[in-house]
Formats: sequence, C-alpha cells, structure tokens
Amino acid sequence: MKVLRLKYEKNEILEKNKAIEVCFKCSTCSKFCPITQNVKKYNLENSFITQLFEAEKPEALNDVWMCCACEKCVISCPQDTNPTEAFTNLKEKSYQEGYAPEMVYRLVDQLLQEGTVYGIKFTNLARKRAGLKDMEKNEKSMQEINILAEKTGLKKKEDQK
Amino acid sequence: MLSYLFFKGCTIPASLPNVEKLALDVLPEIGINLIESDEFTCCPDPIRLQGASQYFWMASAARNIAIAEEKKLDIMTLCNGCENTLAIVNYKMKSNSELKRKVNEALKEIGREFQGTVKIKHFLQVLKEDIGLDSLKKMIKVPLTGLKVAGHPGCHLLMPNEILKFDNPVDPEFYDKFITALGATPVDYLTKSDCCGISLSLAGDKEASHQCIQNKLIDVQLSGAQIISTACPACFNQFDFGQFMLSRDNPRLKEKPIPVLYAIELLALAMGRSFEEIGYNLHRVKIPVEERV
Repeated sequence: MKVLRLKYEKNEILEKNKAIEVCFKCSTCSKFCPITQNVKKYNLENSFITQLFEAEKPEALNDVWMCCACEKCVISCPQDTNPTEAFTNLKEKSYQEGYAPEMVYRLVDQLLQEGTVYGIKFTNLARKRAGLKDMEKNEKSMQEINILAEKTGLKKKEDQK
Repeated sequence: MLSYLFFKGCTIPASLPNVEKLALDVLPEIGINLIESDEFTCCPDPIRLQGASQYFWMASAARNIAIAEEKKLDIMTLCNGCENTLAIVNYKMKSNSELKRKVNEALKEIGREFQGTVKIKHFLQVLKEDIGLDSLKKMIKVPLTGLKVAGHPGCHLLMPNEILKFDNPVDPEFYDKFITALGATPVDYLTKSDCCGISLSLAGDKEASHQCIQNKLIDVQLSGAQIISTACPACFNQFDFGQFMLSRDNPRLKEKPIPVLYAIELLALAMGRSFEEIGYNLHRVKIPVEERV
C-alpha cells in the first residue's frame, strides 16, 4: 500500500493545524471517511484525506467542500490529530480566495437576505401543504445579521467578482 | 413542565413542517413546553457556512444563543446540525475567554452579548437528561409493540463527543433505548453509525451520495427492520427523498422500500396519533407500515 506523503513543508495546513505533525500516516482515518468509502475516484491507496493533504494548493480543489465534518477521522485517529479542523480551515481559505463552489456564495447571500438558507417562498409552499402559518422575514434580525457579517469580514458574492 | 426556547432551524420549517407542527402538538403531553421566537436566524450550518467564515459562524450562532439568554431559557432543537453548531459555539465561547471577547466585540455592534448562561439541547438530549426514558415509557399511550425499527442517530449529534457528551460515537446506543421506550423493537445493523451522505449530495456527487444511502438501507433491509428512524432532518431527507430518487434504478429498494420516520413522528404514533395525523402522506416513501404485529 502506498504510504501517505504529506507535503508539510509547503503547506499552510500545518501552520494552522499543528496536531497534524504527529500523523504517522497509517490511513486509519481514510478507512472511516465516508468520502473515501463512497466517492469513486478515492480508495484506501488514494484517499480523500491523502489527496487533499498532498495537493500543492488544496484550497483550490472543490472536493474540500465534500467534507461533512462527521469527525469519523477524529474518532479513529490513533495520534489525536484533527483532520476535520484542517478541512474547515481549508474551506475557509477556499472561500476567502474565491475557490469555493458557487453554491456556497449563494448560500451566504441567501442567509444575509432572508435569515434562512432555504428561501422563504419555498419554505412557505411546504408549510401551506402541512397546514402551517407562513414564515415571515424578521427585518430586525436581518439588520443584525448583516452588521455581524460586515463586522466579521464575511465576504459576499459581489466581493468575489 | 419543562420550558425551552424552540430553535427550529432552516430545514425543519422548510422540508419537514409536519414535524414542527407535531413537536408543538405532542411534546407538551410528555412535559415539554416549547416557546417560539421569530428572532432566530440560521444556526448557521456546520458544514458549509462554518467553512465560509468561522468568525461569522461563531458570531451569528452566539447571537442566537444570546437571544435565549435574554429570555432566560435553554434552547431545544430538533436538528443535529443546529445542535452541533450551537453546542460547539456555546462550549468554545465559555471555555475560551479570548474568543468570547472577540465575538462579543462583534455582538456589541448589535446591542447583544454572549454570557454563557444557557444550555443547548437536542430533543433526544432533553429526553435523556431532563425527562428520562423511564418516565417517558410511563407516558406512552399506544406502545408500538412489534414494530421493528433501525435507529440512525446521525453523525453531528455524536461528535465532538467531548462537547456534546451524548452517546458513544462509535457504538451509539441511546437511540435504540428510545425506540425500546416507545414499545417498539430496535434492530441493530452493521452501518448504524455511518454517514447518510448528505454532504456528498450537497457537493453535487449524486453517485456517491446514492452509494451512502444504498449501503445503509440495504443493511437495514437485511437486518429485518421495517423502518429506519432518525432525529436529523438532513439524514431524513437523504433516506426519504434520496431513497425515492435512488429506487428508480435500484431494484432492491424499489421492491422493498424502507420508510423513514422522524423521532418526533415515532413518538407521536406512540402518543396515539395516526399515520395520517403525523403527516406520513407528505413523505416520499410512504408504503404502509405494518404496525403492531
């Protein structure tokens, strides 16, 4: 079996996730990773975690957004590294630098416009079917959430272009 | 009567509104009083919005928690994702004063403050910690005797275990105890703690997402369970809508579909509601379930 070769030196992953330094490349995490188990191009010899950690510029790969933060890799790691945290940091870098899938920018926009990620119009169609009262946009909450976005430096779709 | 501020999240009101309605209707019967609020926004979700900006993710989760603090009420959610986000942020803010200072700096702009005075609980945690399964058992009106149920607790309620402290993340057992308390029979199956595959579906890999569903549901079929049950709306959608799509070209699932019941729906049946009343007709997979053999 191919041994994991992580390109630590060049990689910013290590900078933010010091725990990964003690990884002894046993691939146990990959055995439990739902992505490696189910996505066709990945297997134990060429796993999701290996591929991303080996890449020169992992934040530019859309696949980083496949990680569902289930933390199976965290439970199974004999060295107590935290790959999930590394993926969250990678996602953040990917989003900041404009590499994230379009869907994620749309999601942020939707949240800042209506406070829910589904769209109130869609939500209310389903609520009508179940005999529930409509959901309404709370203007004060929207104002607050937009101030938080600005204050925390959250990038929006238009900043990306 | 225990009172909680009801954090509905995004997915329950949009894709499982019948569960929201049932919760408000049935939970008072087991001593849970839910108080609604329209001030909440998305938790925000731990998979994608946490990835967009961890600072914003924390600040908006802390805002939601601060609303509960102002009302002096603990939060109850019905969603694993909301529980995961809110509990993690609550824990991190309480245990890291530098982080708390930083997030409160943002909250100050909107006239709010995180103090760390409330608890965040998933419905199942409320059952476990505040009601107790023994008391729940005594309140059940129509035990679901004979119904064989495969439980799926879902990843985000189990990990990070040091924060959620809910169940054994490798071999979860609470969901099965819950099923037993309702009078039904829990059925063990090999892939019980496996992921439902929702993030693969969200990332656009339909094939891999279907593979996840198939792995689990075929296992459930082999185990002899009649239905699968979960307390996470994302997992529910995978097993219901996902299975519906997958079964078009999967003969095994087409021939013997596995209906999904949300934890609240299962509880409602045990509290005497009919399949019609729990909104079973709104499901995609709605073959009749042979109840009480």
